[in-house]
Amino acid sequence: MPRKKTFLFLAVVVFSFVLMTYQSRKGHTLSIDFLSSPLHATQSATQSVIDWAARPFRMIAVRAEENAKLTKRVGELLLEREQYRETAKENSRLRELLSLRERHRDYVTSARVIARGVDNWTQTLLLDKGTADGVAKDMAAVTPKGLAGKISAVSRSYSRLLLPTDVNFSVSVRLQDGRTEGVLSGTGSRICALKYIPFDSKVRTGDIVITSGLDMLFPAGIPVGYVSAVDNQKGEGNFQRIEVRPFQESSEMEEAIIVK
Amino acid sequence: MKYVFLAVSVFLVFFLQGRISVLGIAPDLSMLLVFTVGLRYGETRGLLLGIVVGALEDSLGGSFIGPHMLSKAIVGFSSYFFVSGGLLRWTPVLGVVSVAVLTLSDNLVVFLTRTMFDRMPALVPTALLVSVMQSLLNAPAGIFIRPRHVD
Repeated sequence: MPRKKTFLFLAVVVFSFVLMTYQSRKGHTLSIDFLSSPLHATQSATQSVIDWAARPFRMIAVRAEENAKLTKRVGELLLEREQYRETAKENSRLRELLSLRERHRDYVTSARVIARGVDNWTQTLLLDKGTADGVAKDMAAVTPKGLAGKISAVSRSYSRLLLPTDVNFSVSVRLQDGRTEGVLSGTGSRICALKYIPFDSKVRTGDIVITSGLDMLFPAGIPVGYVSAVDNQKGEGNFQRIEVRPFQESSEMEEAIIVK
Repeated sequence: MKYVFLAVSVFLVFFLQGRISVLGIAPDLSMLLVFTVGLRYGETRGLLLGIVVGALEDSLGGSFIGPHMLSKAIVGFSSYFFVSGGLLRWTPVLGVVSVAVLTLSDNLVVFLTRTMFDRMPALVPTALLVSVMQSLLNAPAGIFIRPRHVD
């Protein structure tokens, strides 16, 4: 092989290492996001065209089945709504009595998932809302099932959602029944790790994990997932080793609301 | 015209990569593109395309610039080795093996560099599963990708 080509290859390797060393010391300061904007725009446009074309066919197929389901569901929801109203009224009265300020979950916008992250090592989704719609970095995304992640990067019209399963994701949580606090972190796979739960806390498989709000990033009380495995014999150091499966599967997620 | 076609291919690769997945793992289409160019047009062009595609992939992934840039550059540069020197005769089996090996090495480089310079992106068993699954997904493409002298 000609020396010139070998030299070029070695130069690229050295340049890459210098670049990565620089970024690991100075933070992720380099950005070529401008290159990805056209791709995001096309993804959004294509998604709209696909939705538009598929909609009539989908509607015909699901209408009959949906109708029967909805009739049944309406009855259930009416009953459920009355129960919720009663609970909310009671809750409101108790809060007034205790002079506590009613917590308000600040809704920012609702967003549609237009693509998954292209990289298998990063668990992200691309949403179709950006700074123009009031979305900002570190805002939380929530679906009816529970916590969906947090906004890790945002441009004018798009934002990137970091999923709870990503290694860079952490949230302060507590067990709904035991009220024990801990930190939930992503592992890069489909499950999350619940950390810093001491051995004397009782944790069982199936326990619900909710956000505690202590990290000042996520509002308290959002369901995150359920305990899928507990190792309270050996554990990790002074703490139990607990696995949590998020309620919201990223592959099933289509829309989410963004909250402050 | 050639460059327009290449730009459209790059665009298409990233567009599809974010949409296709098997058991939550997407095939590494960008690696296949770089491999094809390296195999057909030589190591220098493969290397240069690898740098561009890798940098773009790093940017789209939202992480720091470098891991994919390096891994794709290695893929683009080394893909030509499979047909140079007259040691190996190109067959579809060699294509499958070379795609599988280079997909594994691509993942290995990304995993190691991100572990070294940023954070370990996944636990080792998960990383192995992702790498092997992606190699298996990519490997059949080796049957259809051929060097120019075989056409």
